[in-house]
Amino acid sequence: MEEVKAYIESGILELYVLGQLSAEECSEVAAMAQKHPEVKAEILAIELAMETYALQNAVEPSANIEDQIFAKIAEPKIVPLYDNNDGKVRKLRYALVACSILLAISIGALFSAHKELKDANFQITALNSDKEKFAQTVSQLEFQNAGMENRIAMTKTDEWTTVKLAGVKTSPKAEMLVYWNKVNKNILINYAAMDLPKTDQAHEYQLWALVDGKPVSLGIFGDSERAKDAVKQMDAIEKAQAFAVTIEPVGGSVNPTMEKMVVMGAI
Amino acid sequence: MKALYDMYSGALLGVISRIVIHTEIAEDLLQETFVKIWNSASSYDSSKGRLFTWMMNVARNLSIDKLRSKDFKNAAKNQDIENNVDFIDEQKRVTFNADTLGLKELVTKLKPEFKNVLDMIYFKGYTHVEAAEELNLPLGTVKTRIRMAILELRKNFN
Repeated sequence: MEEVKAYIESGILELYVLGQLSAEECSEVAAMAQKHPEVKAEILAIELAMETYALQNAVEPSANIEDQIFAKIAEPKIVPLYDNNDGKVRKLRYALVACSILLAISIGALFSAHKELKDANFQITALNSDKEKFAQTVSQLEFQNAGMENRIAMTKTDEWTTVKLAGVKTSPKAEMLVYWNKVNKNILINYAAMDLPKTDQAHEYQLWALVDGKPVSLGIFGDSERAKDAVKQMDAIEKAQAFAVTIEPVGGSVNPTMEKMVVMGAI
Repeated sequence: MKALYDMYSGALLGVISRIVIHTEIAEDLLQETFVKIWNSASSYDSSKGRLFTWMMNVARNLSIDKLRSKDFKNAAKNQDIENNVDFIDEQKRVTFNADTLGLKELVTKLKPEFKNVLDMIYFKGYTHVEAAEELNLPLGTVKTRIRMAILELRKNFN
């Protein structure tokens, strides 16, 4: 309290009202007034006193002054619309144009890249299909090669009897070789040495041996596209007078379906 | 604005015309003051004081700026600032006549040494530092006299 009283009595508030203080001192006084109601009240009292004093010392202005002032105030203020912003606006305009150009170039580049990508994808697809074709061809060649090599190997010994099976009425162009080992009685067939009518997915070939007038199954084999190896070992048989191949449902049959016989050959 | 003019134009001109003696220039400054008040009304902060105090300081600052400006000094026949203040004082001895300015009696009841200091600052545009130098008084004494003068005014007005 003492402090506030001393502050009031220092005379700084009078100087404040008279506009004698620096900006720094002014904000100091304002802060004090905010904090202490007594200071605020004192300032108000000083202000009122000075106001009254000024009113008592008033000098009446000439009559025309009022009109002049209000004419000045009423004048529309000329605010230059672009004066301050002209440079900015121009810069922004340039920036806008630059951005538009960049955008156009980007879109062009994007389209070109997109087209190139499409072309590249197309080429990749084409190359892939080529590659698959080559791979298929290679595996086919390898398959045939293996069959051929086996046939050549067989001719080097005289253990093998080659039985030629010829086409029947329903498939006159069909033909096939069956290899029968004289020593161990094994039967081999070779895809490189057969030309049989195609079967569908539900059917496959069955090899039969004719033993004393009775058909004995020597096993089934698929058509060349489904075969794993070029050479396939069939069931061995001690003796036989003839061999034949029929087309049977997948898994084979107990008895041959005679009307589906495709090749046959006697020993 | 009209109400403000009616209420305060005389009080403001009273202050202005004691700083700048020439009636014509003083009335120009009064115009300038009102235009400035109108244009910078947004910078008035009511928490920092009464509107009149703010208007008063606008008027006084404009007047002092004018007093110290080049063209005014030229008009005052190239007298330098020190002489200028003296010159105005000389003028004021005549102009600052209580009767012609409509001063009420109670104001003149103020003790002259108090009144003198207050008037120098309030009406003549001196800073309190300048007033202390002019009167050859310590700054503290000037401050005390200002406070006493205003306290006296407050007592009289209540």
